[in-house]
Amino acid sequence: MKEMSVVKKSIITAVCLALCVVLPQAFHAIPNAGSVYLPMHIPVLLCGLICGWPFGLLCGLAGPALSTLFTGMPPVAVLPVMIIELAVYGLVSGLIMSLIRTRKTYVDLYISLIIAMVTGRIVAGLARAFIFARGATTMATWAASYFVTSLPGIIIQLVLIPTIVFALMNARLIPRRYPKSA
Amino acid sequence: MNRLPTGMYLPGDSPIHRLDPRVKLLGLFISVTAIILVRPLIGYGVILAFLAFTVALSGLSIKIALNSVQRLSWFFLVIFMMNTFFYSPENAWFSWWIFTPSSAGLMQGVDVVLRVVFALVASNVITSSTAPMEITNALEALISPFKLVGIPAEQIAMILSIAIQFIPTFSEETEMIRKAQTARGARFDSKKLTEKAAAVLPLVVPIFLSAFKRADELSIAMEARGYRSASGRTRKKFAPLKVDDYFALLIVIAICILQILIR
Repeated sequence: MKEMSVVKKSIITAVCLALCVVLPQAFHAIPNAGSVYLPMHIPVLLCGLICGWPFGLLCGLAGPALSTLFTGMPPVAVLPVMIIELAVYGLVSGLIMSLIRTRKTYVDLYISLIIAMVTGRIVAGLARAFIFARGATTMATWAASYFVTSLPGIIIQLVLIPTIVFALMNARLIPRRYPKSA
Repeated sequence: MNRLPTGMYLPGDSPIHRLDPRVKLLGLFISVTAIILVRPLIGYGVILAFLAFTVALSGLSIKIALNSVQRLSWFFLVIFMMNTFFYSPENAWFSWWIFTPSSAGLMQGVDVVLRVVFALVASNVITSSTAPMEITNALEALISPFKLVGIPAEQIAMILSIAIQFIPTFSEETEMIRKAQTARGARFDSKKLTEKAAAVLPLVVPIFLSAFKRADELSIAMEARGYRSASGRTRKKFAPLKVDDYFALLIVIAICILQILIR
C-alpha cells in the first residue's frame, strides 16, 4: 500500500474530528467520564500518529471547539486549556512519529505517544499556571488532575491507540509503516 | 442517544433561520464571550432575557433548546456538588472530613452550571436553525483572512464540513454497535460504574474501524472523481449582509459590551 494522499489524510482528520464529538457522548452514561477516561484524546492522538503533525494539530485545535459547539462538552470555561492540551498532543505525536524510525512500529508508536502525552500535560499545566488559573494552580493540583484522576484514561490510551493502529493496518485502511518487516 | 441528536438542523422560516450564517456564527462567539464575562445578578438577567428572546424568535421549542442540558444532568450535579462541598473552607456551614459546604461554594456551583447551560442553549439555537453546509460556508468565509498568512483555509473548511456531516452518521453507528454489544451481553445499564466502563470500552475499536472504513471509501470516491485540492474550487458566494443581520450583530455586541461595563 502506497503513502496516503493529502485527500485521504484530510478525510481521516475529518473523521477523527467527528469522533471527537461522538466518542465522548458514548461515555456520557458514566459520571465524570470526560476527565477520567479522556475519550476525546484518542482521536486526536490517532490523527497525529497516522496523518502527521499539521493534521494532528488541526484535529487538536478544532475537535474540542466542535464538541463544545454541538454538545456543550467540554464546558466553555475549560475549553481554552483543553484546546491547547489537545493541539500539543496532535502536533507532538505527529512530529515525533515523523522523526523516529526504529524499524519497529509499536516502538515508534509508544515513544511518540508517551512523549506527546507528557508534553501535552506539561504545556496544559503551564497554560493553567501562567494564563488561565494564575495563582490557583499548584504542582499537586496539576499532578492530581493530569495524572491521578485521569490514570484510567492514560492506561486506556496506551492500550487502545496502538491496538487501533494495528487493527487499521491489518484491515488495510492505512498503510503499514514498515511494509517489508510486516 | 435515543433522543433527538444534539445540534441537529431543524428547517424553518423564523427570523433566526433567515439570518446570514456568518452573522449567526459570529453572534454565537460574541454571546459565548458575554456569557463568560457575566458577573452580577443583573448580568445573568440580561443573558437569560436575551436567550429567551432568541429561542422564542427561532420558533424552536424549549425542549429542543434545552436538549443537551438534560443529557448533561449528571455532569451538572457533579460540578454543583463539588463546588458546594469543596469550594471554600471559610464561612463553611459545618466541616466534616474533607467536606466544607458553604454559601460561597453554593453560589459558585450555581454560577458555573448557569454559564454552561447558557452557552449550551446559545449553541443549540444556532446549530438547530442553521444547515450544516451553511455553517461550513460561514466558517470558511470567517477564516478566509488566514489565507493571507499561508493557512489553507479552504482545506480546513473542507475538513470541518466533512466532520460536521459525519457526526450524525457516527452517532447512529455508535448506537448500532452499542446495541450489538448489548446483544452480546455488555451491561450498559448496570448501576456499577466499573461494569458500565467495561461495557463502553469494547465500543471504541469497532467505532474507529467503521469510521476509517468510511474515510477510505470517501477518499477513494473523491480521488476517482478528480478531487485533488480544496483550493481553486468554486464555492457559494454570500449575498451582502441585510439590515436584519446588522441589527442582530449590533444587539449581540451591545450585550457583550454591557456585560463588560457592569462587571
